[in-house]
Amino acid sequence: MWKRIEKWNREVEAEQLAVLRDPTLVAQVPAGCRRYFARKLAAMSPTEREALHRFSSSVSTSAAVLALLKLCVVLSVLGFLINLAFLRNTPWWETVVTANALGIALAFSLVGVWFNYGKIVRAKRKALVNMVVLGVVGGIFGALTVALNKGDPWTALLDKLPKTVVIVAIVVTALVAIPTIAVAMLRNRYFENLAVQLKRDAEQERLARELSETQLRLLRAQIEPHFLFNTLGAVQQLAEQGAPRAAELTAHLIDFLRGSMSEMRCEQVALETEFSLVDSYLRVMQIRLGERLRYRVDLPPALAATRIPSMLVLTLAENAIKHGIEPSLAGGEIVVSTHEDGGAIRIGVRDSGVGMSDTPGAGTGLENVRHRLRLAYGEGACLLLSEAEPGLLAEIAIPCKEPQ
Amino acid sequence: MTATILVAEDEPLMRERLLGLLATAWPEANVVAVAENGNDAWDAWLEHEPQVVFLDIRMPGMSGLEVAERIGRQSHVVFVTAYDQYAVDAFDAGAVDYLLKPIQPGRLDKALVRLRDKLDSRPDDVSEVVKRVKAASPIKAPEKLKWLKASVGKQIRLIDVDEVLFFQADSKYTRVVLAGSEALVRIPLKDLLGGLDTERFWQIHRGTLVNVNAIRAAERVDAERMQVLLRGSDEVLPVSRSFTYLFRE
Repeated sequence: MWKRIEKWNREVEAEQLAVLRDPTLVAQVPAGCRRYFARKLAAMSPTEREALHRFSSSVSTSAAVLALLKLCVVLSVLGFLINLAFLRNTPWWETVVTANALGIALAFSLVGVWFNYGKIVRAKRKALVNMVVLGVVGGIFGALTVALNKGDPWTALLDKLPKTVVIVAIVVTALVAIPTIAVAMLRNRYFENLAVQLKRDAEQERLARELSETQLRLLRAQIEPHFLFNTLGAVQQLAEQGAPRAAELTAHLIDFLRGSMSEMRCEQVALETEFSLVDSYLRVMQIRLGERLRYRVDLPPALAATRIPSMLVLTLAENAIKHGIEPSLAGGEIVVSTHEDGGAIRIGVRDSGVGMSDTPGAGTGLENVRHRLRLAYGEGACLLLSEAEPGLLAEIAIPCKEPQ
Repeated sequence: MTATILVAEDEPLMRERLLGLLATAWPEANVVAVAENGNDAWDAWLEHEPQVVFLDIRMPGMSGLEVAERIGRQSHVVFVTAYDQYAVDAFDAGAVDYLLKPIQPGRLDKALVRLRDKLDSRPDDVSEVVKRVKAASPIKAPEKLKWLKASVGKQIRLIDVDEVLFFQADSKYTRVVLAGSEALVRIPLKDLLGGLDTERFWQIHRGTLVNVNAIRAAERVDAERMQVLLRGSDEVLPVSRSFTYLFRE
């Protein structure tokens, strides 16, 4: 017999733990009382289930029974003492039983609330009314029993009824309903905060991961082999001709490579640094493309120290070369400039090349820029493209204050 | 052995380098034309019909690949590229000659040895490889033209290219002839033709592109020459020798 109970208990326990882990398993629970409880478990919120699951898997049934026995002992002693102190006329066992009944009931309801706080918080008023009504009904029933025992006529009770109802309602509200609901609300707030915190942590982790991924992408994408080989070819050609420009081109290439390497390692740089990187890139391209490229880089001293995410302007300049100037038969001009405009800093790269319609494949670089702006400023920054008659204007607008 | 050569490369220093190395490695070769973009390269090819063409892949206007397609098997093509792994793999697989930039003398010598060997034979067909490389290229060819803007007096006229009977080069302009009217477009024909569908508009002469749908007949003038007769126009368009193959049965 005992063995069968134990087996049944273990079965139910395993089944409930499974349901707590995965509420869809409810359908597999045998119908009847077990299914009823399983369904209740499945209806709880994920955090509640998580907490209950943690509790149930760490506390076994025997431990729970032991705790219950301890509680009974404490309650019995309490009942006995109360009997000695205040209720000498009542038999001692009556107070002990009452104390046990009340204490265990309250303990159960608090344990229930501890794990199923969501339901009570979601329907506070309903829970309060339920408790008070049940309390009042119980109270009336009790009073009736007592009166009948004493032999009073039940009509005499009618006079006392309103008073009894009010007293019972107040007692139930104060001793049971308010603590229960308060506990539920505290638990709920705790878990809501926990959930918010977890979500924020996850979001931050995701952003950090994206950031490092973007940096990796930058690292791979920035110094294009095409650029490098063509530039080295130009250097070689100039050197073989004995042209002094060979040394000049090499110097610009070194500036560019050194600048790129160090910028790739920082998330943010001063506009001054970024613009000088762009300048060395365009110098290299100017020597390579000859008359086909003219360019200007304008940085007002007031904005020189403004910090922005690294490599953004360079990406726009590379884009202007690759999709604006290089495909253009006549070449063109690139103007890199920046100004402050009512709370925003605008950085523009304008090229007079082939313009928007003829720039297939221009997407990846710009997508990268948009992505990095989003990572650094959220919705606070943007990249705008517009036709520049002729050519294209790519403009970044960022808030004046530093990115987070 | 001497040969006529066309060099097409957009970056001046790279161009100088190739020309300089060619002059050293193959002094008897005759560089008949040097082009700075794809459009000029094709125009120069039509003018000179060189035996050998060095084509940079990435160029303004038509890409080296597009020019190679137009040249077909009429010249030996050597591609020049800086770093286009997708192209290099395809060229290797298809045994197509290419040079990597920056061009190194040893590599050029090897290519020239092979080139001299096959100079007298019919050029290899590179069209399959070129098609594959174009498909794999991250830089897609621009969309084909649908409309042309032509100024007629004070007005800007929009012309649907499908309605054009033929285009004719007119120095820096292009004469656009439609049924019953014509207009001048301020773009030279060599820069216009890359944007036109080659299936629809056949180039029949260095200076003439004709709408296939407008061709009524092609007739022989003598053993070498042909001409095209049109629907919707009385003009007769000469077909140059390199394009007579279009009308061969």
